[in-house]
Amino acid sequence: MEVTMDPLFLAWSYFRRRKFQRCSDVCTKILEDTPYDQAAWSLKTRALTEMVYIDEVDVDQEGIAEMMLDESSIAQVARPGTSLRLPGTSQGGGPTPAVRPVTQSGRPITGFVRPSTQSGRPGTMEQAIKTPRTAHTARPVTSASGRFVRLGTASMLTNPEGPFINLSRLNLAKYAQKPNLSKTLFEYIFHHENDVKTALDLAALATEHAQFKDWWWKVQLGKCYYRLGLHREAEKQFRSALNQQEIVDTYLYLAKVYQRMDQPITALNLFKQGLDHFPGEVTLLTGIARIHEEMNNIPSATEYYKDVLKQDNTHVEAIACIGSNHFYTDQPEIALRFYRRLLQMGVYNCQLYNNLGLCCFYAQQYDMTLSSFERALSLVANDEELADVWYNLGHVAVGIGDLTLAYQCFKLALANNNDHAEAYNNLAVLELRKGRIEQAKAFLQTASSVAPHMYEPHFNYSTLSDTVGDLQSSYTAAQKSEDAFPEHVDTQQILKNLRQHFALL
Amino acid sequence: MPEVKSMFREVLPKQGQLSMEDVPTMVLCKPKLLPLKSVTLEKLEKMQQEAQEAIRQQELAQKEKQESTAG
Repeated sequence: MEVTMDPLFLAWSYFRRRKFQRCSDVCTKILEDTPYDQAAWSLKTRALTEMVYIDEVDVDQEGIAEMMLDESSIAQVARPGTSLRLPGTSQGGGPTPAVRPVTQSGRPITGFVRPSTQSGRPGTMEQAIKTPRTAHTARPVTSASGRFVRLGTASMLTNPEGPFINLSRLNLAKYAQKPNLSKTLFEYIFHHENDVKTALDLAALATEHAQFKDWWWKVQLGKCYYRLGLHREAEKQFRSALNQQEIVDTYLYLAKVYQRMDQPITALNLFKQGLDHFPGEVTLLTGIARIHEEMNNIPSATEYYKDVLKQDNTHVEAIACIGSNHFYTDQPEIALRFYRRLLQMGVYNCQLYNNLGLCCFYAQQYDMTLSSFERALSLVANDEELADVWYNLGHVAVGIGDLTLAYQCFKLALANNNDHAEAYNNLAVLELRKGRIEQAKAFLQTASSVAPHMYEPHFNYSTLSDTVGDLQSSYTAAQKSEDAFPEHVDTQQILKNLRQHFALL
Repeated sequence: MPEVKSMFREVLPKQGQLSMEDVPTMVLCKPKLLPLKSVTLEKLEKMQQEAQEAIRQQELAQKEKQESTAG
């Protein structure tokens, strides 16, 4: 006779081994036999939640509507150093755009991307609408219609019998009174179904049932309010939760609220408060470093990232950020050591090998350069990455003077990603060396329309027009270049010459 | 090679002005270090890809069904 395991125990075991699909299947079977088995029901909600769970602290995608129709901002033009929206204001002594490329929002590119840093924050409505909608930069109109909903509908589609729990038929008041069921149910509604309104109702009922003494429910209420865009209410809930119980996560959520309300100084103070209670806490230190980085204060961001590494010397984000900072401050050999450390830790992807290749080349370790790039090319996941690797290889080719190879590399970059503005610009420079002025002009115009935030195409166009005698176009292009990079000396020079010239007319 | 006399001798003018014209040159865009992705971002992207794949499969199945009923 065959002895079978108790199905619930089996499901639980699957859950612990993170085999969520199997766990959910077993639970479904149990529920078919005994539909009122609460343990199986609760376990299934947990398994389904875990399948799509993402850390709420990290997730933050601001839609255009939230950014532009922002009611919480106090002043239209914030004082320098108090806002995350004015990238160029703080003079932290970081590298200029002449050395370190910038993102769309005018910030220096970072060594690490998170969901919230993926697409920069445009400063004005005009800029937001003008920003080309490529696959990279597409941003949802509101965060409510963003990724969450898409993931939610996808999970429903794959279930032919419809969703596991029919939320509209759920008697929330009944579940709110059962603390052992309500928490898993809440997480299911919040993470799996992405129905924030229902989740909020449940949390409100449950916190009432707990006589407002359970900090967990207050944090959940805060999360719901945050998703709904009610920042002040979210702040109240998180504050109240913190009064009851000091938890690192609550500090992180609250700081996220302040960052969304564009109050980086308050967020910094909060992190420091948190550090008083939890000295050396890595997530809090990382939070401080990120804010400094976003405010363009790279040196103090690096200091904090170093503090992070003192606590946790395998922190990928800190290593990557310090590494990229060294690279762009003319110390590629030190950057190379940081990236090598990442390699030792087992990070194995296209980005890392690409960075290693670049560092090797600029640190004059030529033997490793091409093999690193070969690895990077073999590990690419999508066309955009492939384009970036070819683009960087083009730089190596320019560096060794093989202009034919460089030309081919930049062409390959464009073949893989038609919106690669940097490649257009560099191709234009190469075309001009061959004397093909019209071709160069066309490339430069494409580059400046794809990426208006970069100063290089504008400046090059200005120089080119200046030499062929088209002073008016040269002047307008130089002005655009000045907007993108006000401290650029050569642009200033061109503008000065042109103004003198126009004054003489 | 200390004995071999060099054919060329350097000329360092002791008098007169040395001038250099600063011509604006074209600038290349800088090499781009690629940022590493956070675990959350990777998971999000993977989930999105899987969801898209699932939808595509389902749509394909539906299409086939429709074709078989029509034909």
